[in-house]
Amino acid sequence: MTAVAISGAALIPVPTVLPLLGSPFWIDVVAEILIWSLLAASVNLLLGYVGLLSFGQALYFGVGMYGAALSVIHWGAGFWGGLAVGVVAAMIMAAIAGSVAVRLTWHYFAIITVVFSLILYFAAMSAKPITGGDDGISFSVPDVVSLGGLKLSLADQSVQYYTILLVVAGFYGLFSIIVRSPLGVRFMAVRENDRRAALVGINVYVTRYVAFVLAGALAGASGALFAFFGRYASASYMFYHVSGEAVVWAIVGGAGSLLGPLFGTGLLIVFREVISTFWEHYLFVVGAITVLVVMFAPRGLAGAWNDALQVLRRSKDAGTSDTTASSGEQDLAKSTTDATRGGSGA
Amino acid sequence: MDRGPKGLFRSLRIRAIDTGGFVSGLVLALAVNGLVWGLIIALIALGLSIIFGLLDIINVAHGDFFMLGTVVALVLATSTGSYWLALLLVPVIGLGVGLILERVIIRPTIRQASLTIVTTFGLSMMLQEGVRATYGAQPRRMAAPIEGTIPLFGIDYDVYRIFAAAFATLCLIAFFLFLTRTKLGTWIRAVRHDPETATALGVPVARICAITFGLGTAMALLGGAIAAPITTVEFRTGVDILPFCFMAVIIGGLGNLQGTVAAALLLAVMEGLVTSVTDPTIARIVSLGFMSVVLLVRPHGLFSGATR
Amino acid sequence: MLDGSDGAVALSVNGLTRRFGGLVAVDNISFDLPARRLNAIIGPNGAGKTTLFNLITGEIRPDAGRVKVHGQDITGLKPHQIVRRGVSRTLQIKSVFTGLTVAENVRAAVMAHEGLVSPFRPASSYGAVNQRVEGLVVQVGLRKQLNTRASALSYGDIALLEIALALANEPKLLLLDEPVCGMGPQETEQTVETIRTISESVDVVLIEHDMEVVFAIADEIIVMAQGALLARGTPAQISSSAEVQVAYLGAPEEAD
Repeated sequence: MTAVAISGAALIPVPTVLPLLGSPFWIDVVAEILIWSLLAASVNLLLGYVGLLSFGQALYFGVGMYGAALSVIHWGAGFWGGLAVGVVAAMIMAAIAGSVAVRLTWHYFAIITVVFSLILYFAAMSAKPITGGDDGISFSVPDVVSLGGLKLSLADQSVQYYTILLVVAGFYGLFSIIVRSPLGVRFMAVRENDRRAALVGINVYVTRYVAFVLAGALAGASGALFAFFGRYASASYMFYHVSGEAVVWAIVGGAGSLLGPLFGTGLLIVFREVISTFWEHYLFVVGAITVLVVMFAPRGLAGAWNDALQVLRRSKDAGTSDTTASSGEQDLAKSTTDATRGGSGA
Repeated sequence: MDRGPKGLFRSLRIRAIDTGGFVSGLVLALAVNGLVWGLIIALIALGLSIIFGLLDIINVAHGDFFMLGTVVALVLATSTGSYWLALLLVPVIGLGVGLILERVIIRPTIRQASLTIVTTFGLSMMLQEGVRATYGAQPRRMAAPIEGTIPLFGIDYDVYRIFAAAFATLCLIAFFLFLTRTKLGTWIRAVRHDPETATALGVPVARICAITFGLGTAMALLGGAIAAPITTVEFRTGVDILPFCFMAVIIGGLGNLQGTVAAALLLAVMEGLVTSVTDPTIARIVSLGFMSVVLLVRPHGLFSGATR
Repeated sequence: MLDGSDGAVALSVNGLTRRFGGLVAVDNISFDLPARRLNAIIGPNGAGKTTLFNLITGEIRPDAGRVKVHGQDITGLKPHQIVRRGVSRTLQIKSVFTGLTVAENVRAAVMAHEGLVSPFRPASSYGAVNQRVEGLVVQVGLRKQLNTRASALSYGDIALLEIALALANEPKLLLLDEPVCGMGPQETEQTVETIRTISESVDVVLIEHDMEVVFAIADEIIVMAQGALLARGTPAQISSSAEVQVAYLGAPEEAD
C-alpha cells in the first residue's frame, strides 16, 4: 500500500508541479506513461497472476484504439462512449481469440498470440479505407464533460491529464480488487500449479479464459485512451514489436506485482525520452536492459523493492523465522513476487 | 523497390505483363521463385528448429540473424571485392556469433525458461538497432555475383537465383548428412530426443546446446548471405522472415526437420502463387491462418514424425 | 460422507484398458472396492498403478471400460469435474501450489470446493472459509507453518499439505499415490497416522511400495503386474501368495 500512496502522491500534482519546473511537455509524457502502463498491466495480469505469457496484447490495444476512433468518427461518440466501445470491442476480440488460444500452453500459447496479432495487423493494414493502414485515421477530440455550463475538453492539457489519471487509476483499482478476490485466488492457483489446480476442482481452461478477456479489456482501455490522447489511430501500433515492448515493461516493473507495470513503463519511457535527445539508438540500450533484467533481476523493480524490504525487516527483527525462500532461481511462470501480501511494497 | 519475397513476386508479375508472357509461364516462374525462397527459408527455419527443439527457446532474433547475414555478406563482398569469399566467411562468422551469444546471453537466462522469449526479443532489438547504428538505415542492393538470365517458361530468369536454389539445396543436404553421419550430429539428435539418457551416456550436453545454438545461428546467417543479392539489405528484413520461419517449423512439426523443409517449400510456393492473384498481404494472412489451425488442431505439425 | 450401508461400493472399475502405442499399460482391469475400507494397490514398477489412478481421475481417457465412484459413472469426465464429484488425489511427485503459503494453498482448495469465484469481494473476508482452512491445517499437523511458503517446507510437510488440499474437497474417495515415498521413519509414521485417522471417515485407496505401511493399515490389498490384476485379498493372504512373490521377486530359482 505504501507504493500506491507514493505513486498517488507523485502523480496527482503533476500538472501543477511540472510547469513550475519549466517542463510542461513532461505532463504529456507522464500521461503517456499512464496510458501505456495499462498495456503492460494487461501483460502483467496474464503473466504474473495466471502464468501465461502473451506476446500479442497489441492486438487488443489496436482494437480498443480503433474502436474508440471509429466510434467517434462514424457515430459521433463522446469520450466516455468511445472509451466504452473500445474496451468492449477489445473484450469481444479477446473472447473470440482466447477461446482457442487458451487451449494451448507454454510456448505454443505465446506463438499463437503473436500469430493472431499478426493476422489482424495485416488485415488492418490492408483495410486501408477503414483503418487508414499505416498512416492511420485522425479525429477531433470530443469533450470529456459537457453538462450545463461545465465544459471540459481534452484540448486542455490539465483536463486531459486528470481524465487519463482518473481512468487509469480506476482500472488499477479494479485490477487490485480482482486479484485479491476469490477469482484472483483461482488465478494464482492456476499459475502456481495447473495440474494441482485441476485436482482441487478448478476449471483451468475457464479460469485462463476469464483472465484473457480481462487482460483484453485492460489493453483495450489503453488503446482507447491512446486514440484520444493522440487524436488518431494507426495500424502500426498493432505490430508485435508493441506487444514485445509491453512485455519488457511488465517484466522490468515486476510481473506479479500490482504497480510493477506502472514503474516499468515509467522507467523505460522516461529513459527513452531522456536518451533519445542525445542518442538516436536508445533502442539498443533498451534491448540490453531487457536482457540484463532477465539475467539479473527477473522479478523486476517490484522484486528488487520487496527484496530490499525483506532485508530491512530482517535486520529489524532478527530471530523470527524467515519464511520466504529466495526465489531468484524460480521459473517466473510458476512463482511470483509478493503479490498477495497486501501490506508489503507494491 | 522492395525486393523481399513479396516485392519479388510483384516485380515478376509486372515484367511478365510487359513482355506479354504466357500466363502459365508466369505462374510457373512464380512457383520457381517460391521454390528458391522456400529453399533459402528452409535453411533458416532448420536453424530455428534445432534451437527451438533442443534449447526450448523461441528465438525472436532469428530473423535478425538472417538480416545480419545479408549485411555482413554485403559488407564483406564490397570490402574484399569477392562475393564468394563473403559467402564462405559468413557462416563461420555466424557460428562464432552464435557461440558467443549462447555463452553470454542465453546460458545465464535459460533458468527463467518462460522468459527466454523476452531475452531473444531484447537481443532482436539490439541487433536491429546495432545494425542501424553501424551500417546505417539506408537500404542497399547488392549486385548479383552471377550476371545474366536464361529463358525459363517464357520469362528471362536470373541465373543467380538458380544458383541460389542449387546452393541452398546443397547446404540442406550437407546439414542432414552432418546430423546423421557425424558423431557431433548424432549427439545433437540424441540430446534432442532424450537429454537425460544422453547425459547418462556421457554426451556433453551443455556443449552440445552451445554448438546447436551456434549452428542454428550460422544457418540463418548463411541463408542471409545466399539471399543478399536478391533482396534489399537493411536492418528491417529480419522482421518479415521471422514469421515465415516459425510457420515452417510449426506446420512442419517441431522436431520434424524434413517436415520443416517441406513446409517451407510449400508455404513459399503457395504464397507465391496466391500473390499472383491477390495482394501479398492476403497471402500472408492465409499462411498465418493456416498456421493457427495447425497449432490448434495438430500442434505437433502436419507431418507425422514429430517427436514432441 | 459415505453411503453408510455395508453393501456400498466406493470404487467400481470395469474392463478398464489403456494402451500407449504398443504397450498395454492397463489391461482389462475390473474390481469393486467396498466402502469403509482402506484399500492398497501394490505391484512392481511399471505395473500400471499410477496409470490406473490417472484413468480414475480423468487425466487420461481409457480405451475401454468404465469407472464408477459411489455408483456414479465418471468415465470420460474432465479431472476438475471428477474432483467436484468427491474424488481427491495426491501425486507421486508431491504437487502443491509452490509459491503460495500453506494457508493460501488450503484456501485456494477450499474456495474451489465452495465454488467461490467472486471477482469483487476480498478473499480474506470469508469467515467460514478461514475457519475451514485453519481446521484442515490443524488436522494435518501444519499449524506452525501456516504462513510458510510451500517452497520452504520440508518434504514431509509438503506431503501433509497435499493431503490437506485433498481433504479440502470433502472427498468421498481419496486416492493417495505413494504417500510416504522418500520419507524418513519419523515422517512416515506421522503420515501413516494421519492417513489412518482420515480413513475412518473417507474411503482411501493408496498405492504404496513400502510393505510395512501397507500391511499395517490396509484392510484389503490389490496386486497389479504388467497392467493386469494379479491377486486380491487381505494382507495375510497376499503375503503368503506364491503368485505375488513371483511377480515381485521372479521365479523361485532366481531368488536367493
